[in-house]
Amino acid sequence: MIAVYVCAGIAVYAALRVIFQRNTMRKLPFLNVVSFAVTGTIALLLPHPITIAAAAAYFVSSTLESNAIASTWTGGIKKDE
Amino acid sequence: MLDESFRILIAAVICWLNFMTVDLIFKLPESGGVCGATAIAQEVEKGGGHINGGFMMGNIVSSPDASAGTLLASCGVYCAGLFGGLFAAVLVYIGNRICYDPGYAGTTGCITATLIVYGATQAGFAASDFIAGMVIAILTIQGISYVHASRLITRLWKVRCRLLRGCK
Amino acid sequence: MNEFVLVACTILVLVGTAAAMLERDPFNKLISLAVMISGIFPFIIDRGFLDVAIATALIAPLSTIFILMVCRRIPA
Repeated sequence: MIAVYVCAGIAVYAALRVIFQRNTMRKLPFLNVVSFAVTGTIALLLPHPITIAAAAAYFVSSTLESNAIASTWTGGIKKDE
Repeated sequence: MLDESFRILIAAVICWLNFMTVDLIFKLPESGGVCGATAIAQEVEKGGGHINGGFMMGNIVSSPDASAGTLLASCGVYCAGLFGGLFAAVLVYIGNRICYDPGYAGTTGCITATLIVYGATQAGFAASDFIAGMVIAILTIQGISYVHASRLITRLWKVRCRLLRGCK
Repeated sequence: MNEFVLVACTILVLVGTAAAMLERDPFNKLISLAVMISGIFPFIIDRGFLDVAIATALIAPLSTIFILMVCRRIPA
């Protein structure tokens, strides 16, 4: 089943693009590709109904984290003093 | 039936069409939904891309949209059949609200993808082909060259504005 | 889990760790940490610990958000 190889390979490629990209905001689309690929790998490793919840939890949390990084970079989050 | 790598490529094209269509209908390239998306769009424009393509790439990064919906729908159908895909749609809806996104692009993309993937599994595909296909599709948009991807998205956005009204 | 996926996830973890050590900017460090944490999830799932995976998936990015609240971008 070569789908797992595709997802794992794309994860490594995108991780290397993340590291070698200099600009912080332009790293985030590559990090998004890493999240997609790891979510696919998770689902392909263990086909069980609860895996859908694990994959969705990982993906949504990773998206929320990227969003938080991007928002804080522009100074968007209000400071709670 | 067909060779597996060929099936994965066909599935990639189908996933690409599904998520681009739903995202363009829901006007993702028009503006940044959350402030993180606007930051990414501005950096893409500074680097030589178009602002509308940057808005869509920023929206894909900041909130689960139709691309995430398609991927989770494929994972759902692979793990638990048609109801797995619908369960994934519920999770995408919850994820949208957690990320402060008031739109329905993710949920709609997930439901259409569930129907497409389930139909394709009855026709000889495997749901794992769609998982790998969706990862390849998102790689072409976000993972190769943001300059070319944003220009392609802007061109498709202009076509969408001419076909369906309702965008500035 | 076959060897290719094992090696790929190990590369993710090692590359993320090395980048997190060598980067200067705090945002780049956090992005490298995210790459590192992405690499460990397939190992957890492969053993069948789905509940541990869900808990880790919710806790680890939340901790990144708490760290972001501490390091704010200083306007130039």
